[in-house]
Amino acid sequence: MYAVETFELSKFYSHGRIKALQDFSLQVEKGKIFSLLGPNGAGKTTLIKVLIGIVHQTSGHAKLLNQSINKVSVHKKIGYLAENHRFPEFLSAHQILHYYGKMAGLGPSQLKKQIPALLKTVNLHRWENVKIRKYSKGMMQRLGLAHALLNEPELIFLDEPTDGIDPVGRRQIRDLLKSLRDEGVTIFVNSHLLSEVERMSDEVAILKQGKLIQRGTVEDFISIKEQYQIRLDSADTMQNICNDMKVPIKRENDLFTVSVQDDQQLNRLIDRLRQSKTMILAVIPKKITLEDYFIDIIEDKKGESD
Amino acid sequence: MKFLSIVQLTFRESLAKKTFIAFLIISTIINLLFLLALNLDIVDGMQSSISIFGEQTDQIINLQEIIYGVEGFVAVMLFTVGIFMALFATSGLIPTLLQPGFIDLFISKPVSRFEILSGRYLGAVAIVALNIFYLVIGTWLIMSLKTGIWNFGFLLGGALIVLTFAILFALMTLLGIVSKSGPLSLMITYLILFFSPLLKQRDSIYALLSSKIYGQIIDGLYYFLPKTSELGSITQRLTRGLEINTWTPLWTSLAFGIFIFLLSAYIFQRKNF
Repeated sequence: MYAVETFELSKFYSHGRIKALQDFSLQVEKGKIFSLLGPNGAGKTTLIKVLIGIVHQTSGHAKLLNQSINKVSVHKKIGYLAENHRFPEFLSAHQILHYYGKMAGLGPSQLKKQIPALLKTVNLHRWENVKIRKYSKGMMQRLGLAHALLNEPELIFLDEPTDGIDPVGRRQIRDLLKSLRDEGVTIFVNSHLLSEVERMSDEVAILKQGKLIQRGTVEDFISIKEQYQIRLDSADTMQNICNDMKVPIKRENDLFTVSVQDDQQLNRLIDRLRQSKTMILAVIPKKITLEDYFIDIIEDKKGESD
Repeated sequence: MKFLSIVQLTFRESLAKKTFIAFLIISTIINLLFLLALNLDIVDGMQSSISIFGEQTDQIINLQEIIYGVEGFVAVMLFTVGIFMALFATSGLIPTLLQPGFIDLFISKPVSRFEILSGRYLGAVAIVALNIFYLVIGTWLIMSLKTGIWNFGFLLGGALIVLTFAILFALMTLLGIVSKSGPLSLMITYLILFFSPLLKQRDSIYALLSSKIYGQIIDGLYYFLPKTSELGSITQRLTRGLEINTWTPLWTSLAFGIFIFLLSAYIFQRKNF
């Protein structure tokens, strides 16, 4: 069962001169945190706007929670945090959640229960009656998040959710999103903060010039196959064993990086080290950061033809 | 409930603007003036003396004339200055709605675009109606209780003022959606408002035109655009208890308002934000 399905979705502007999305097809499973990455102008926000109905697609179609995006009723089950959202500045956080909650179809009893709980969740409960024109950017972002969660949605779209939020706040939001995911909520995130995406996403897609160019788990992207980092208590025998086994090796203090042919060769290497009475402290699959991978992809070093 | 919340939010947003608060304060002062400063001494249904701020006039005036005069003055002021101010105060409502980041929050809710626009429109009309009826009903009650003459035509006049604003605000809604500019939509609406008396006098203009086609264009504009000048006359006649010769300007202006609002909704429906 998919939470989001798009079928050759395209959006062109200026009579087709600007192609914000091109034949974009994607399925996102329910109960996952799915992140969309891409440079500025890649079409990430356009995709969310098309799915929400803020922008009309040029061609193709899409479904949210198995309903056509053209049906407004699907919005009952959806939460949305817009990038650079604007709430009326003359209202307090409590009043904003009250008005927009009513707009989302919540009754008085639900509002009475939901609003204080959400304000506490996003740590704004002490500011609930202060006019939002006095809020910092981080507070506005947290209010936006509370607004997105008002109707207890099954699917949440978050466009740059941690933008302007300090590291402690970011961790709180990350934990909140993970707990929502564990409750079965699907979370669709657009973010530039790759370290955040790396920490919380189950699946990632990379968008470039309106086209989907890569998709997979974070692990798929950041693991380098057949490369391992080995930490030893003594480095005496490592070089000789690797030379003997014809395993390329690099050394950084007590940390060795080896490129093996396969898992069997790695196991043979470990056996030789154990036979030589060398204490193995750690064997770690070599990884790069998501940021490194993203930059490689975007700069066309690899991937576009994958 | 969902639709009503859009109306309420627009109402609340309009109330936050100082213009409407100022208007309510002015209305209160006017009502207090009628309540405290105007003293009518009634003998057998006729006014025997009148004093304003304690200054007595010796002239004998028919009581009904006083009522119609005062209420007529309020109606004219509301139709001209009131509508002018109301358009000014509401000119930003549609462009504000269309701002990136603001409209997104509305569209993401389970409400149709038609409901969003209608809610915004009705919210604006509601706040203006509140302001107008606050003054109209206040003045009407004070004058009627002081004299015992209940001029219901004044209330109808108030309703017509609100209706005139609603028609002009439909035009401002369309212009706001197309241009996304409050000042531009306000200027064009003012132009239409002040163009109306000129079009009403079109018979006098024909002789000055070089070609018949210009006459036909002026005729076309007259029949298509809202006839604010005639609506003003109807309001005045209603308030003064006079017979209305024709209601046609009201129906054609209403038709204009409905057509323009539906056109706005169609454009709003198709727009990307």
